[in-house]
Amino acid sequence: MEKIILIMNYFDLHVHSAFSGGQSSLEELASTAKMLGYKGICFAEYYENENQLKKLENEIRKTSEKIGIKILLGFEARSVKELRFLAEIRKKFDVLLVRGGDLKLNREAVETPEVDILTHPEYERLDSGLDHIMAKLAAKNDVAIEVNFRQIALSSKATRSKILSNIQNNIKLAKKFNAPIILCSGAISHFELKDPYIMASFATIFGLELKEAKNAISTVPEKIIKKIEERKNEKWIMPGVKIVKK
Amino acid sequence: MSKNDFKRTKPKTLIPTLREKHRYISFQVISEEPISYSSLEYAIWNQFLDTFGEVGVAKMGMWLIKNIYDSEKQIAVIRCNNKSVHQIVGGLGLINRLGDTRVIFKILKISGTIRGLRKVVSIAGQKISKISIP
Repeated sequence: MEKIILIMNYFDLHVHSAFSGGQSSLEELASTAKMLGYKGICFAEYYENENQLKKLENEIRKTSEKIGIKILLGFEARSVKELRFLAEIRKKFDVLLVRGGDLKLNREAVETPEVDILTHPEYERLDSGLDHIMAKLAAKNDVAIEVNFRQIALSSKATRSKILSNIQNNIKLAKKFNAPIILCSGAISHFELKDPYIMASFATIFGLELKEAKNAISTVPEKIIKKIEERKNEKWIMPGVKIVKK
Repeated sequence: MSKNDFKRTKPKTLIPTLREKHRYISFQVISEEPISYSSLEYAIWNQFLDTFGEVGVAKMGMWLIKNIYDSEKQIAVIRCNNKSVHQIVGGLGLINRLGDTRVIFKILKISGTIRGLRKVVSIAGQKISKISIP
């Protein structure tokens, strides 16, 4: 009997480079990600102006060609105002992330269909930062809820246990309302990138099945990338609307 | 009871159905500076005891195998029972530093036998089947 080997493509869609307060260059991050078995990564940057966007695009293209790994450009919104602005220029870059933590921003993120990922909704909070209404909206607008590995890895003792408890609540809500869950390293240095198998295994500890955990690191990012490609098509107008015939 | 039974220093080998089912996890440590086996062992035990507690680690049947540590390539093998593979693998991800050295763990292969790891683990060209494991 022939052995069927299912090879999954793993992606890490939340990595910070030296351009956005990180410690490692694009090249270091990309080569480490390739060595760990990732097919692609996304650099989450903070938007400044049009020139910065073009400079980043150039740098990313060069690194991608040199290392041989798919690299996406993402922008992380830190306020409602920034989010609304980035949603307006959505076609110019690949991934739109929203820095979770603030309840108002969390709500705005899950209500915006242009958003791809709501990063760590429980960030610096005592509660989990999500409720059942937000989880429903995230499912409706296809906004992925992120499980950020960095804040788990860098915390310890009581803080880590509180973070894990909040993440567990978010996973429970996301699973209940079929909102997509995504696993990201949130690395700011190439030494903070994690093996995809380690990330998936760790996710099984707090409530995901192994299959769901692997989907969170492969199928969900692949869907986001597919959406990006569709959006970059000339026929695309807005989510759910595209020109079929002229 | 035979005469030899009195001379035994170890208990008899259990029959296969009563034995614990093991898994061997081989992984590579990628670090800024070379790391020693003792610092790796110390960091792993500390991290696991912190995260899963003494009872949790006892249930895992965890054992870092010293004889198979490849200090050149920094490849090590952990033995655990078949039910705690994901806990062990996930726990490794929580280790960021060994002392002052930043590290990344890369999982190479998980196997049910040590022999199954022979493609990824070898010590100074020695076949893994010939390495004595206590």
